[in-house]
Formats: sequence, C-alpha cells, structure tokens
Amino acid sequence: MSGGILDGIRVLDVASFIAAPAAATVMADFGAEVIKVEPVGLGDPLRYSLRGPGYGHSPAHHEWFVDNRNKKGIALNLKSEEGSAVLYRLCETADVFITNMPLGPRERLRIRYEDIGPLNERLIYASVSAYGEEGEEGDRTGFDSTALWARSGMQDLVKPSPDSPPARSLPGMGDHPTAVSLFGSIMLALYRRISTGKGGRVSTSLMANGAWGNALSIQTVLSGGEVAHRPGREKALSAVNNFYETKDGRWFHLIMITGQARFPELVAALGCPEIAQDPRFMTTELRTENAHALIAELDVVFSRLTADEVRNALNAGGFTFGETHQINDVLTDQQFRASGALRENRDPKGGADLVVDTPLFVDGETKVEPVMAPDLGEHTDDILTEAGFSSDEIERMREIKAIE
Amino acid sequence: MSEAILDGIKVVELATYIAGPASGVVLADFGADVVKIESPNRPDPFRGGHRRGSDAPLSEYPYGYIVDNRNKRAVALDIKTEAGRAAFERLIQTADVFITNMPIPTRERLNIGYDDIRTINERIVYASISAFGERGPEAGRPGFDSTALWARTGLMDLVKPGPGSPPARSLPGMGDHPTAMSLFAAIMTGLFRRERTGKGSHVSTSLMANGVWWNGLLTQAMLCGGQVVCRQPRENAANPLHNLYQTRDGRWIHIIFNTNLDRWPELATLLGRPDIGTDPRFENQAAWIENSSALIPILEAAFAERDYAEWVALLDQHRFTYGDIRKVDDIPSDPQMIEGRAIRPIDDPAAGAAYVVDSPIWVEDSEKAAPAMPPELGEHTEEVLRDIGYDDAALAALRAAGAIS
Repeated sequence: MSGGILDGIRVLDVASFIAAPAAATVMADFGAEVIKVEPVGLGDPLRYSLRGPGYGHSPAHHEWFVDNRNKKGIALNLKSEEGSAVLYRLCETADVFITNMPLGPRERLRIRYEDIGPLNERLIYASVSAYGEEGEEGDRTGFDSTALWARSGMQDLVKPSPDSPPARSLPGMGDHPTAVSLFGSIMLALYRRISTGKGGRVSTSLMANGAWGNALSIQTVLSGGEVAHRPGREKALSAVNNFYETKDGRWFHLIMITGQARFPELVAALGCPEIAQDPRFMTTELRTENAHALIAELDVVFSRLTADEVRNALNAGGFTFGETHQINDVLTDQQFRASGALRENRDPKGGADLVVDTPLFVDGETKVEPVMAPDLGEHTDDILTEAGFSSDEIERMREIKAIE
Repeated sequence: MSEAILDGIKVVELATYIAGPASGVVLADFGADVVKIESPNRPDPFRGGHRRGSDAPLSEYPYGYIVDNRNKRAVALDIKTEAGRAAFERLIQTADVFITNMPIPTRERLNIGYDDIRTINERIVYASISAFGERGPEAGRPGFDSTALWARTGLMDLVKPGPGSPPARSLPGMGDHPTAMSLFAAIMTGLFRRERTGKGSHVSTSLMANGVWWNGLLTQAMLCGGQVVCRQPRENAANPLHNLYQTRDGRWIHIIFNTNLDRWPELATLLGRPDIGTDPRFENQAAWIENSSALIPILEAAFAERDYAEWVALLDQHRFTYGDIRKVDDIPSDPQMIEGRAIRPIDDPAAGAAYVVDSPIWVEDSEKAAPAMPPELGEHTEEVLRDIGYDDAALAALRAAGAIS
C-alpha cells in the first residue's frame, strides 16, 4: 500500500474496549501502521465482553472488526521487566502512543506520560480518561454510559416525556465520537511536530465529550437560564409537529412548522379529510387550542396505516416529515453505501460485505482496504524481529510468558 | 505562553447553525484566525436563537452563539454582488481553510463548490459538512442532526426506555457538536497532508455518517447478519443489578454491579436488605438473573428509601460502580466539570456566565486562546478587508454596491 496520508506513521495502541482503539482505527484508515499491544492471556476485554442482552448478536465478531481492523497485534506482559522493555523499545521508533488505561493501572504498568515521554521526544502520547485526568475524579473509572451519557445531563433529558424513566445509551455510542476527538488532537500534535520536531501530550475525556455534545443546554444553565424537559407526545404543544406510530410499529414525525395552510390536504392524504372539517380543528388557532384532542385523533389515523402507506402518501403530497429508521434498515439503505458511511469489505473474516466507516473523508484519498482485526499476538514474532530481537530472545521471552 | 499551534492559519467560514461553525471554534481555540462571513441581509439564523424559543430554551444571553462562534471575527459580505464576490475571492486567496455546511445546491448557486474555491487557491483545505453525505441519491438533501444523525441511523429508535415506548427526540446540537469534531479532525488531516505534499484537498463529514459511526457496533452486527433488539424496560430488565432505580426524591441511579461479585452481601446490607445477601434465590449472578422478577421489586423498594444524594454518598463511600444520572442543572456546581476541563472560565460580563463549554481536546503545553465573546454581525468587516488591502475608497465602493453594510 502506498501514499496514505499517514504513511510511515507508527502508532502503538496500548488500550482496551472502544474509545481509544477506535482512534487508532481512524489512523489506520489513513495509512498509519498500528500495532495493538494487548496483555498476554485474555487480551483486550473487548474480545470477550459486550455479550449480554442489548449488545447485538451476530455470527461474526462485529465489535472487534469495527474497532480493531487494519492493525497488527502483539501480546506483552507489561508487568514483567522483559515485556516492559519490549514496549519501551517499540516506543523509540513510534510516532504515537495511545492509551485509555485509568491513571492507577498506568502507574502500575509504567506507561504514564512520565514513563513514556522521555523515551522519544518526537512521540505523541494520547490518552482518553473517563472524567479528565485532573481533579478529585481524575483517576475514577467510567464508561461512556456513565461519564458521557449520565454525567452530562443527556440521559436525564433525552426521554419521551418528563415522567418517563431514563433510556440507556447504546454500546459504544459515546466512545466512537470520543475516539474522533482523540484522533483530532493527535493530528493537531502531528501537525505541530512538523515545525517543532517535538511530540507532546494530548488528551480527551468521555465527560468532556458529553459536555460538548450537550453544550447548548449546559451553556443555557451556565448563563442562568433554565432547561425544561420536553412534554410527552400526548401533551405536545402542537399536533402537527409531533410523533405518531403506524400499525406496523414505526414512528413518523410530522413537521408542519412554516404554516398550516395545507392541513386539509395533509389529513386528506392520510385518508381522513373529515378531520379538517371538525369544528375543533378548523383553524391553526383552534388546532393549537385543541392540540391534545387532535393528537388523539391522529393517533387513530396512524394506527390504521402501515409505514409504507404513510411514507408514500406524505411523499406524494410533498410534505416534510421525519421517519424514525430502524437498525435493520441499514441492510437496504442505499444512501449509507453511496455516501461512504458504510464501506465495502472483501476480507471474509469480517463476516460482512460492508464495514462501518470512520466518519471523515479526504477526497482523492482511498482509505486502506479493511482487514479483520488481529488474533491475540498474531504479529508478535514479526514485530519483535523487526525491532531487532533475535529468535533466541523471542523464544526466551515466550518461555517466561513476557510475550505471547 | 508558547506560540499557538495554529498561529498564522487563516480560516474562512461560510457556515450557519452549529456543526460547521463549531469546527471553526475548535480551530480558533488552537490559535487560528477564523473569519466568519455572513450575508448582511441574512445573517446566520443561529443568531438570536436564544430569543426565539421553540425547541431551544429562552435566555437573555446568546448561549448557543457563545459556544459555537466565540473567538472569531465577523465579516458581513454579500458574495452575490460582484464587488462582494471579488472581496470574498481575495479572502480565499490568502486562506488556508474554507469551512461550509451549505447544502450542495446552495453551494452551486453561490459558486462556492470545491472546484470554484480550488481555482482561486489550490493549496486550500476545503472542508464541508452535509446532512446525508456528498455523494449518492440524497447528497443534496438538507437535514439537521435530529433527522440525519439521530432518526436515520437507528439511534432514535433504540435509545428509549423500552420497546413499547415512543421515541425520544435528540437535544439541540447533540449530534452537531461531535460532527464538528469529525470535521475538525478531517481539517487537521488535510493540513498535515498539505505540509507533506504541498497540496490542498477537499475534506468532509456528514451528519448521517457520524450517526452510523455512533451506532457502529449495532450497525455492524446487522451487517454481519446478526440481530439487534431494543432493551427491555427496567421493570423487566434481564440483569437486576445492571439496571435503573428511582430514589425517594424521584431521581435515578444506574447500578452496575458486574465485577467483584463476592461483595454482594455487602451491597445487600448497604441497600438495607441484608437478608437478600444470603437469600438462596439470589446467591449468585445466574440466580439473580433467573429470579429477576422477584429481585427487581425488592431493589425498587430499597432505592426508594433514600434520596439521590444519600445514595451517591453511600455508593461512593463503599466504592461500588454506578451511573449517577445528573441533571443539567447540576453542572454549574460540579467541580469535576471545571477541574476536568469540560468547562472553562470566561471573563466577560456579556456572556452572562462564568464558564463556557470547552472543546473536548487538549494539547499540554499549548494553552488554548482565552474565550472571547462571539462577534456582532459584521463587527470586523472593515478590519478584515483592510488586512487584505481595501482602503477607504475601496470600502466605500463596496458599501455603495451593497456588498457590505
């Protein structure tokens, strides 16, 4: 492979789960050589966790593919002197070191910035933490569900009605955008290195990405304003800017906000022209006044129609509407493919013809062809040989389980 | 303080609302000179959003505009006039980055597509955001994060309290801000490439691709021939000890007890029910999953005995893992938000706030620019145009042509 933007850049992914490894995946997409360093034994917990209800099941190892594709794998025991020495030697020729270990384990494994930085002044040390690396909670562990979704106020506010219980975030939903933030900070440091010759230390946190996501509501309260829960759909302020469920269980969002002159046409398109003649709903003012009654009427209308019928009718009439897509729509959504949100995969180990692509594009640059993520220690020997270890040394390290 | 990383980088931003402008803010944080161009007659509609209400809350302070347009200079320029176009092209000639989130048909109408801009300056990094991608049958279609990122990708359908629940709408800007980080990262990739090759480029992101990326794990499960189901409501949760419970004062705790399981009797005691810690029906994880319908009501009653703050203090004291579902009102008094640098001090009474939400990345030993209030419409029109050689007479001519106000 030749000519990737990050060609010649070597990245050490000393990280687990999602947010930090996914940043390395973005770098691999653009041509960087990424070495995933995993503990001997079980490896990255993402290999065997996320298995319960709500995580999605497939015959392939889909999480592993998304977040660790296009990497080489080495398994090291960083608790041993020998394993640590291997990592340090790799740092001498690396450009970027990525970790999301909490501060405690970083200290125990001797991979703090203070340990790694002095090995190579051109190296960029990039870290993800749960709540930031300073302050009382600087060493606290967390996931995107807690540090990003629950802590930022998003979980409390994103719900169908004020009295509804909260909704949990989806697996990786906060980790993936956090990974892009880390990638952005790494590129900033790589850019700086071109003129200064020096690496440095960059970071992001799940909590800060949560605050950034919820920035408008947070800045409202910081400015002394109030953020209220939005009313539930039965009590929405407007019946024509609201959600309705079809017979087959899909949700449509009617959006008539620039004027209601076409209201009679809208209800006619939905097969109930008489609603426009109902004295309660004859004018915009009356429809606002009697919004809850109109919502109840439209609930009945939608419950008699299928999603296809609603979509066709609204499209034919040229009405603006939103449709809450379901995850299985991904299999037939042409725009996902055509726009590059999904990318073709030819590696049979991926278990799919398409892979979720990283969400940034450079025209004229073809991202690296997807290759399934490595098995534990798949490239240990190659990487060590390349780093100058002899086969005797490698053999001895394997015997004492410093490598796998 | 050391020189800012993006010192000397000139950015021209022709973008509105949130996702495009927010990426300009991140560049400004790191020292870039960001010039925001607005039409004198049709300024960024996001101005004044704090006074309009509808989905966004009302405030006397322009909270949204502070977050997404601070630290920029503003030029009010009508690029549809001939004189205005000439001034715009002169700005583009010396710019390093151009940012737009105009829909593709608008870009064509305004002659600000990549080919138009590249012709003026071939070294420029042209950065664009679209709703549904720059290619494909829906490339020209406008959209917001609520539609293209949240509703289109299955996120909205799955992030809800249970399968029977109606969907929940996204919050204002919730998808735009992370999308802005993607564009920022793409711009840095473009700038890095330019240093290596001398060439400009067209970099982009889309709201939809970011939604697919957020929902990447479940999306890939589907692509791999698998299945995804909406989680059961909390009353029927599969694992009672990875579940949400309401406290006496109506707030919520997400208990996540899935490590160090031998501490179960200790947790049971903490919950005021030492008996369930030794009850054979709940003796291990398999048992409490099997008997969840018996355990959930017990835990519901237990959590309802104390207020949220008491639970937080108790769980912390005993070092159990949980999610504390905070309210947005908690944030101004949350010390970790400040110490963890998610929010940053702003020293300007016009902000009406002591802090501003920070961009979520840091480069140590490179201090970010101090937050400054966003500019008024056209606040720096003269200053910026004088920088590129317009004198009094030339400015008067622009004004006479209606290109500036």
